[in-house]
Amino acid sequence: MSVSVDTGAKGGKKPLNADLNLVPYIDLLTCMVAFLLITAVWTQLARLQAQQKGQGQAGEETPPELQVKIVILVNQEGFNLVVGPDQTPIPKKGTDYDFERLAAELKKAKEGHPDKNDAQVASEDSIKFDTLVRAMDTALQSRFPDISLIDSGAAGI
Amino acid sequence: MAIETPKAHLYHSINLEAAKSKLGGGGRKSLYQNLNLVAYIDMMTVLVIFLLMTFQATGEILFVQKNITLPDAHNWTELERAPVIGVTKDVVTLDGRQVATGEELMKDSATGDMKITELHDELVTAKNNYKLLHPAEDFKGVCIIQSDKNVEFKMLRKVMFSAAAAGYQNVNFAVRPKARETAAPGGE
Repeated sequence: MSVSVDTGAKGGKKPLNADLNLVPYIDLLTCMVAFLLITAVWTQLARLQAQQKGQGQAGEETPPELQVKIVILVNQEGFNLVVGPDQTPIPKKGTDYDFERLAAELKKAKEGHPDKNDAQVASEDSIKFDTLVRAMDTALQSRFPDISLIDSGAAGI
Repeated sequence: MAIETPKAHLYHSINLEAAKSKLGGGGRKSLYQNLNLVAYIDMMTVLVIFLLMTFQATGEILFVQKNITLPDAHNWTELERAPVIGVTKDVVTLDGRQVATGEELMKDSATGDMKITELHDELVTAKNNYKLLHPAEDFKGVCIIQSDKNVEFKMLRKVMFSAAAAGYQNVNFAVRPKARETAAPGGE
């Protein structure tokens, strides 16, 4: 007695093609897509940290050599960078503020006072928030990580 | 007993010629059709990879309010949870609740008082709640100001003053992150 089972292949050999069972893989992918879509963050937001320090609060316990104040005064005419007793007016270029020159002047100030980490951004009332953020961003880029945003009257200049 | 090749046994009792011919085999084409899943799996895989790359474990800390266009910044840090003060030209909100109008803030107070009473009181409440809920932790005094980029400093000054008066000295300004700029040559 002989048994002959037709496997579908020619000549009685086993077929080389095999079907993968893709159902668990598709289930896994569908679950992952659903989970990731639900937990996705579509709007990327970040922060600029600033403190509120008035005159005399910043350097009460700091040694005298670190008491040199660095203030970026923002007004309608442009910037006025104050480093200790020195003032450097940075007028606008046309209607735009000159952030490149501010960065260059801040870099010089950092080279002159490498241990100084704090800078104050002092603003007039009519200055737009975008300008202040760009000024703070420029100061952070110039390696002044402790930024304070204050009123120009509180800067004591 | 001879063993025969398996064949279809169904539908022999059905006296429907069409059903017999379609479903009962008989050398005709099968009604079963394999779906081509390759394109579907490719698409799902690409989608999963994209979503995994944009995945953030911190989640969404704050939503951008309507009428607020955030300024861009290159030297940013990650957001952390804190009370969110929204400032537009028209209204000031704390965690979505209105606490002042822009018109009020643009007026010069006769007494020179810059404090926004409702904002101050709600921030004090939030501070007290935090201290009650986290007795073992120090209160850091952090709040997030989510301001439109065209708002004038005059409004912000009053908001910041009120926050400082309520004990929130550390202000975080919400910004749209841009690619970080590398330090200038010779800088570091």
